[in-house]
Amino acid sequence: MTEVELRVHELRKTFHPGLLEPSVEVLKGLSLEVARGEIFGFLGPNGAGKTTTIKAIVGLVIPDAGEITIAGHPHDSLEAKRRIGFMAENPYLYTHLSGREYLRFSAELLGIPPPEVADRIAAVLAQVTMTASADRKMRTYSKGMLQRIALAQALLGEPELLILDEPMSGLDPIGRRDVRDLILGQQERGTTVFFSSHIIPDVETICDRVATVIDGAVRGVGAVRDLLAREVERYELTFTGADPARLATPLVASRVGSDAAWARVEAGHRDALIRELADAGARLVSLVPVRSTLEDLVVAQVEGRSGS
Amino acid sequence: MRVIRVIAATTFREALRDRILYLFLGFAIALLASSKLFGILTVGDQAKIIKDMGLAGIQLFSMLIAVMMSVLLISREIDSRTVYYILAKPVRRWQFLLGKYAGLLAVVAVNLALMTAALLLFVWVYGGGVDARLLLATAMIGVEMAVLVAFATLFSVVTKPILGSVFTLAVFVVGHVSEDLWLLTRHLPGSVGRALATGLYYVVPNLERFNFKTEAVHQLAIPAAAVGWALLYGLGFTALALVLACLRFARRDLQ
Repeated sequence: MTEVELRVHELRKTFHPGLLEPSVEVLKGLSLEVARGEIFGFLGPNGAGKTTTIKAIVGLVIPDAGEITIAGHPHDSLEAKRRIGFMAENPYLYTHLSGREYLRFSAELLGIPPPEVADRIAAVLAQVTMTASADRKMRTYSKGMLQRIALAQALLGEPELLILDEPMSGLDPIGRRDVRDLILGQQERGTTVFFSSHIIPDVETICDRVATVIDGAVRGVGAVRDLLAREVERYELTFTGADPARLATPLVASRVGSDAAWARVEAGHRDALIRELADAGARLVSLVPVRSTLEDLVVAQVEGRSGS
Repeated sequence: MRVIRVIAATTFREALRDRILYLFLGFAIALLASSKLFGILTVGDQAKIIKDMGLAGIQLFSMLIAVMMSVLLISREIDSRTVYYILAKPVRRWQFLLGKYAGLLAVVAVNLALMTAALLLFVWVYGGGVDARLLLATAMIGVEMAVLVAFATLFSVVTKPILGSVFTLAVFVVGHVSEDLWLLTRHLPGSVGRALATGLYYVVPNLERFNFKTEAVHQLAIPAAAVGWALLYGLGFTALALVLACLRFARRDLQ
């Protein structure tokens, strides 16, 4: 049986900004489970409740109702917190310190034994490729460099569960690739990774499973390939010996090329088109299912067109 | 204790980085200038005047540090969200708050020690005797500041930085007119005004209990019981303010 590393059950949170401002219900019974060792992506539009969920998990926001456990421990217990490495969406660091000084401060808070601190810091600095700049004051860092130090402090305690809020935002393509590689590397050493992202191709590339969160609740959860497989909506056909303009089957789009014709149909019209092409004596060259991307899925869910 | 110590040390370093110890230089210059000025204007015992001015200056500068730094350093940590990475680690919220308090108190204590050393030097230069009463008076200013920093810590978690500073300053002012407030309660005609003054009298610590400046300047006897009660009184109000701060901070959403 798969062990659950992170369990969020029926999480509810309403913010009350002030007497004259209306309350905002951000989380409406959000539930999800992340298995030990998997990379779990958390997707959704702005304001869906992703960051509030993450803040509740790491203990920055106090839920009104619901339960959060980490490896079976209540999320606000020290046992749970010892297992977490957390990186926020923006790197909130003491910029008057150098990267190495900040990591030393983090190591002391984590209770890493003093003889191990220097080696552990050197290791995480190497992982985030910041060794060369580690002794500069962080106020001289670029956003990408700050993001790397924020990631380094998350890795410092060798966490069981890495929680990353938008880890790729603000990074250049090389930085994004490095973070992707680092997440995959963490999975290889057995770390569970839970991260939110707006950059859907990154999620598609590295996540084992994803959850889509819309309006404070999880709308869909599952393996990326399963979620997308359910969303095959159209087919593209290439054929010779028939003019798309003369076909009776409704087409979404068509084009006549020098060698062959091409047409796109809704999934429901696929068989009718194949039959019509056969009856017309045409030759089918290829039939390609057009799967929706995660982005299409999220957009569809936001617009209420799909809800699995 | 380790976590509190680490946060306290970082807070202390941050205050040094903010050049807070420059306030001590300000104190020394003010003391030098005023001693010269009063040396010309008065015919009395100049060392006594320096003691008097010095102790008042120490109290004023300590209060400025307590009001400015306490609210600023804690609010800055929350507003700039550097607190996120601290509280996501195995750190309790009350440990964070007590660490900040301890660090701030250390800042006040170092300044107090430097200012006291400067005062002793000035008194010695102007031929005054240096006795334990002077040290006791400055130590009791330290106790007063411990109470004030605790209130500043409370205000920094319940309100905005500017309001927190104003409230802390109000505690300092009202705390020094507390006995007048008590007299006022007997003479106010309206029940609302009387209730308000009585409420303030009980809620705001009477900071005059820590005032041993007159005894130090005029070398009067200081009863041990008065010092003991003042210490207990200070400890009680400090603990109360810190417990309230911790309770409030434990339920606060950090957004």
